[in-house]
Parts: sequence; structure tokens; C-alpha cells
Amino acid sequence: MTPREATTGAAMRLSRVTGDRRHRRRLVELGFVPGADVSVIARGVNGGLILALGDARVAVDAGTAATLLVEPSHD
Amino acid sequence: MTDVRPAKTLLAKSCCDEHTGTVDERAPRVALAGNPNVGKSTLFNTLTGARQSVGNWPGKTVSVARGTWRASGGDVTLIDLPGTYSLLPGSPDEALTRDVLVDHGMDGRPDAVVIAVDAANLARNLYLLAQVMETGVPLVVALTMVDVARARGVRVDADRLSALVGAPVVPMVPRRGEGLDALDRAVAEALANPRPPAVPPLGDHVEPALAALAAELPAASTARFPARWLSIALITGEPVPGVPDGTAALARDLGAALVDGDDLGDPEVLVAEQRYAWVHKVIADVVTRRGDTRTTWSDRVDRVLTSRWSGAPIFLAVMWGVFVLTTKAAAPLTAALQALIDGPVAGAAGGALTAIGAGAPVRGLVVDGIIAGVGQLLGFVPLMAIMFVLLAVLEDSGYLARAAFVVDRLMRLIGLPGRAFLPLIVGFGCNVPAVAGTRILADRRHRLLTGLLVPFVTCSARLTVYVLVASVFFGDAAGTVVFAMYVLSIALVIGIGLLLRRTLFRGMAGEPLVLDLPPYRLPTLRLIGTQTWVKLRAFLRTAGGVIVATVTLVWLLSSIPVGQGTFGDTPVEHSVYGVAARTAAPAFAPAGFGDWHNSAALLTGFVAKEAVVSTTAQTYSMSESAGDGELAPALRATFDRTSGGHPLPAVLAFLVFLLAYTPCMATVAAQWAEMGGRLTLFGIGMQLTVAWLLAVAVFQLGSLFW
Ligand SMILES: Nc1nc2c(ncn2[C@@H]2O[C@H](COP(=O)(O)OP(=O)(O)OP(=O)(O)O)[C@@H](O)[C@H]2O)c(=O)[nH]1
Ligand SMILES: [Mg+2]
Repeated sequence: MTPREATTGAAMRLSRVTGDRRHRRRLVELGFVPGADVSVIARGVNGGLILALGDARVAVDAGTAATLLVEPSHD
Repeated sequence: MTDVRPAKTLLAKSCCDEHTGTVDERAPRVALAGNPNVGKSTLFNTLTGARQSVGNWPGKTVSVARGTWRASGGDVTLIDLPGTYSLLPGSPDEALTRDVLVDHGMDGRPDAVVIAVDAANLARNLYLLAQVMETGVPLVVALTMVDVARARGVRVDADRLSALVGAPVVPMVPRRGEGLDALDRAVAEALANPRPPAVPPLGDHVEPALAALAAELPAASTARFPARWLSIALITGEPVPGVPDGTAALARDLGAALVDGDDLGDPEVLVAEQRYAWVHKVIADVVTRRGDTRTTWSDRVDRVLTSRWSGAPIFLAVMWGVFVLTTKAAAPLTAALQALIDGPVAGAAGGALTAIGAGAPVRGLVVDGIIAGVGQLLGFVPLMAIMFVLLAVLEDSGYLARAAFVVDRLMRLIGLPGRAFLPLIVGFGCNVPAVAGTRILADRRHRLLTGLLVPFVTCSARLTVYVLVASVFFGDAAGTVVFAMYVLSIALVIGIGLLLRRTLFRGMAGEPLVLDLPPYRLPTLRLIGTQTWVKLRAFLRTAGGVIVATVTLVWLLSSIPVGQGTFGDTPVEHSVYGVAARTAAPAFAPAGFGDWHNSAALLTGFVAKEAVVSTTAQTYSMSESAGDGELAPALRATFDRTSGGHPLPAVLAFLVFLLAYTPCMATVAAQWAEMGGRLTLFGIGMQLTVAWLLAVAVFQLGSLFW
């Protein structure tokens, strides 16, 4: 699933980033790497999300959120 | 890698920043690198006593600044680099930082690097640190924001980190000046005994490929670039100048073999993941957390400020506040300043000049030219100051980043990021601070596009003309006409924005939103004060001369007689100015207002819309205070005549022209300062074209019906 389907506040683990090369590179540099801890902090208009990525907070639009694949994490 | 290197010239210049003074070319150089928004500029300012712009927004520093740090071990030239997430050049700023760090062929390469690492956001900061370590440059890690980390229950073991990085780690709070002595000692030591840091391992998979490539690197390349950095760059497919094609091809093959079988495989991403693997190992080793650090109060605030329901209303309320403050609060201050200049100052100067026996022309030049010009310039000061204070508060608090998120979708329609909303809103008050406000945009192209759109935002000075003209011609419907001008203004911003985005700014839009949100911070008075002062000074310096010069020029032109009269004592109609207006008038005939009174008013409007009403009165040889009683019939008669019996469409066309053409000389001056002469002139041409076409269309279509 993508963070858009995830419950707000639930702990998740990033499994994969899709999209074109430039896009993936940009996200990877910010720390969106497989295994990273991700959770949804807030939901804005039009599907935009504020994500917690470890200690960082990153705002992404709906399109970007859809390129992130996450799974529930159990710890 | 680019072979065009802005850094070269930037660093080679004896001084890059007006605030930093000259630096000693022989002093050792220390570059300040790090992620955006981690306190580099704060540190730089504290160490050098300079005033680099600091702000709670990633990407605040967009060019290099240099200053002298009087360290205990002797003077050091400190270079404040733009913040970057990585050394792969994604933008010119990043390319600059990277070239400074890796290219030995470049002048001004630093002797050591202080890398600022945000203790409250370690992962991403250590990722950049890993890349800097790969360059082998002697390092000192400044562990900033330890106060924020502590407040969140995060403790970083500096000694352990130092052992893993192979470089000194100095915990500090740049904002409060804590840790400066320790940094001083660490840098002195790094300069005296330069040692390369440790090398973050990239895993069993990547390392053998790097080793295979390292054996093939030509000596010329390894003399210019650090060997490990070079191997990694080449394997990830990055072009590096001066590397033989054969070596580059070999590297590409090695890279491709690393990701064989993965459909999304990319050596660059693979290497980045490996660096993060190292980062997470380091974090596990040096960080201890106390309590639940997952949801902070900042997150709870975010839930409200950005939510689907409350995000937009809060945003609109804040913007409304900005609008009211920049229009209403500044007005009395501006009026008082102007009254002071027009009254006592002009009077005293006039008296003094008479006393020393200066003739009427000299008095006119000084009083009506220069002093009036300075008066107009000063009139902008309260407005600009309020605007800059508001910008600083919004930015430093961290709200601006949230606001950008809230309106991102809307602004994206015209290819601009959410933050561009702010200058446009400010533009309704006054275009001058709005143009200067485009600086909050990190991307140059976004700044330029916004700067070109601002003049189409109808400012409050234009409102005075709408009101006068509309009430003369439209009676009870005047309000509707004025409102229509505002609607048209918004439509123009969107329309021109779409047009520019499809033409001049093609390929700019479509960048998805991925925005690092800074934590909320209490803005400090000192920070807001210095920021406002620095920006205000820059405005006065760049725009001041233009404004004073233009006002003086207009006075001069309207004082030089053509045919009859004497200098300084001639009716406007018979001055160079009047003649110029008369020459321009026929151009407006297709729009239905081709008369010299109108073109004189528009000519003045080029200087300042505030002066349009008084010029109109002046051209009819009556004082402004004569009021509607006398001015209205004269205006009606003019429009009746020029429009061939269709005065209303002609008046509308006049108003539309007034809305769309160049707002004022001060805006032009501000644009000149922000985006350079070429684009400013292009903007003027565009405004005149749009204004003329629209005015003609309004009159021609309108006269079919009225
Ligand atoms: N709490 C706290 N805030 C700090 C500290 N140092 C800097 N700040 C604040 O952090 C924000 C960013 O500081 P800057 O100095 O502009 O950061 P920068 O690294 O130069 O940012 P860029 O120019 O965008 O790369 C500002 O709001 C500072 O006031 C610190 O040690 N503690
Ligand atoms: Mg900075």
C-alpha cells in the first residue's frame, strides 16, 4: 500500500520507491530508503500528506505519496 | 559534472558579500557545509560578525558568502556554502558546494570543512556527512541544534560519533553561541594537522566494484579529484570532466552489473541506500532516546494548520492579516513621512535657497525634483519595513513552509510553488515590496516568474485612480467597476502566468512537492530586526537612486518650455513633457482615449500611480482640490470627444490600461534589483503590450454595445 491508504499516526516501514530516476534520487537523498520508518502526521487538501521520516517531517503531494510503497511495521 | 563553474568566480572574488568586508587572501580557508536549515549561517554570522540572511526555511543561503573569523590560531577565511542534501548536483547551489569540495583544480579550495550536523535530525545530516567523508577533506563536525534534540529527549554521543567519523565532533548551539571555543580549538587542530576522515563502507556488493575501478583510474584524474569520490561518481554514471571515455564506459558497465536484474535498478540509488545503511548503523550506535519521541507538539500543531478543513481558512486569515497590515498599518506612517517632506522640509529648503539667492530653476530642481523624489522614496520605507518584518516572522516561525503546503495545488496551476502566494498577496497593497518578497522563493526561475506577474496585481495606488474615474463616469455602478478591476487583475495573473509557463518558462512546472518542513521555532527579535534592516538597506540602495532620478527627470521635462514660456515657469502643455504626451496620444486612439491629457496622466502613472490624479488635475490647469465639481465635466468632455460618442467603453479601456501597464518606477527599480535589466525591460514591454491590446479590445467591443 501507499501512505495514502495508511492510518494517520500508524508506524510503517518503507519498502520501495517507484517513479522516474530523478524523482527516486531526490527522495532517496532525503532518506526515503527501503527500511526507513515512515508515518502519516497530517493530511492536507487534494491528498497531500505530511510524513514523519524518522525525526524529519516532509510534506509531499498526492502524486509523490503514491510513489512510496509502505507496509505496517511491528515495533 | 558541469564544466561551467560559478563557484570559481564566486570564490575567487576578493569579497562576495557586502556585509562581510574584505578578507585576507592568504588566510587558511574553511568552508561551512551542511544540510539546509541547520544553522550554518547563524554559525557563520556569530563567528565573523557578518549578517548573512538566516531563516527557518531550507535554502535560505543561495550564494556563497565569505568572512573573516578571528580564530585563536589566527585569521581564518570562512565560506558559508548553500545548504545541500547531497553532493550530487541537483541544482546550481548543490553543484557549487560539491565543486568546492571535490575539485582540486579549482582556486579557493578550502583547507578544511566544518560540516554542520543537525542533532535533531541526524539521519539526513549524516547522509551528507558520509558523502563529504568520501572526498577525504579534513573535517570538523559541528553538531548543531543540540538544544532542540535535548528537548525531544534525543541524546547524541559526540565522542562515539567522533570515533566513527574519524574527525572531531563539537556539540553546539549556534543561536546562543554555545560551543564556539571548542569549535575554535578543533578547527585550529584540523588546520595544523590535516587528516582525512574515515571512509564509510558501502557494503560487500559495491566495494569490490569500486576496487576494480580504482585500479583503472588515470593519474591525471586522481590528481584533480579525490580517488574514492571519483570512483563512486563514475560508477553511478556521473560525467566528470577530463576522464577518458574508456574509463567512464568501464565504470558504467561495473555500475550496471551492480543492479542487474532489478527493474528499478540504478547504481546511484543503490549507493545512496548503502550510505543510509551506514547512517542507520551509526545512529543505532550514538543515539539514545528517552520517552516517546514519535509525536511532538509540532506534529499536533501541523495537524491543525494543514488539515483539509482548517488549513485553508487559517491560511486565508493569515494572508488577510498580511494584506491589512501592509496596506492599512503603513498608510498613516507613509502619510506622515510624506507630509514632513512636502511641508517643513521642502519649505525650509526653499527658504534656505531663497536666502542664499538661488534662482527659481535651482529652487525648483531641489524642492520639486530631488526633495519630492526623496519624499516618495521614504514613503515606501514603512511599507517595506512592515512587509519584511511580516515575512521574517512567517518564515522564522516555520508557518510559511506549512502555508506553502496548503496552497501548493492552487499555485501549481500557474506553475509556481505554494510560497509564491505571499508576494502576490502583498502586491495588492504595493507591488514594490511584493517584488522584493519574491526572495522567499528558493528557485530562481520561480522568483523570476513571480516577479513578472506581480505588476498585474492591482495595487492600492491604482485604486485611487479607479475610484476617481469610476465615480465620475459610472455613478452608482462605480463600486462594481472597481470590483471588476480586481477580478480582472486576478484573471490577468492567472492568464499571463499560464502563458509564460507555456513559453518563456517551459519545463519549469511539474516538479512534485517534496518539502522538508522545518520545526516551529519562536522567531527572535534580533533575527527579525537584522533581517528587516538588511533587506531594507538593500532596497534603499538599489531602488533609491532610480526613484529619485525619475522624479527629478519628470520635473525637469515638465519645466523645459517648448516654444513659449521660460524654464521652470511654463504650463505643462507647452513643456517637453506635454509635447511628449501629445506625441504618444495617437497610440491610444484605437482604445478611445487618444488625448494628451490622458497620455500625460499615463506617463505620470509610469512614475507613480499616486501622481496620476494630481497630474490629471494639473493638465486641466486646476488644482487637485478643485474636486469633482470642475474636474468631472472636463474629463467627460475629453472622453466624449476622443471616443467618438462612446465615452463609457473608452473610460473602461482607460482603466484597463491603467491596471495592466507598468505600475510605477519604484516597481521597475525593485524588479531591476531582483531580476536584472533584461527581464525587467521584457516585463515592461509585456505589460505595455497586454495593456494596449486589452484596452483596444475593450473599447472596440464595448463601443458596439454602448
Ligand atoms: N533552537 C536552535 N535554533 C537554531 C540554532 N541554530 C540556528 N537556529 C535557527 O535555525 C534556523 C536556520 O538557521 P540558518 O543559520 O539560516 O541555517 P542554514 O543552515 O544557514 O540554512 P540554509 O541557508 O537554508 O542552508 C534559524 O531559524 C535559526 O535561528 C540552534 O542551535 N538552536
Ligand atoms: Mg544559510
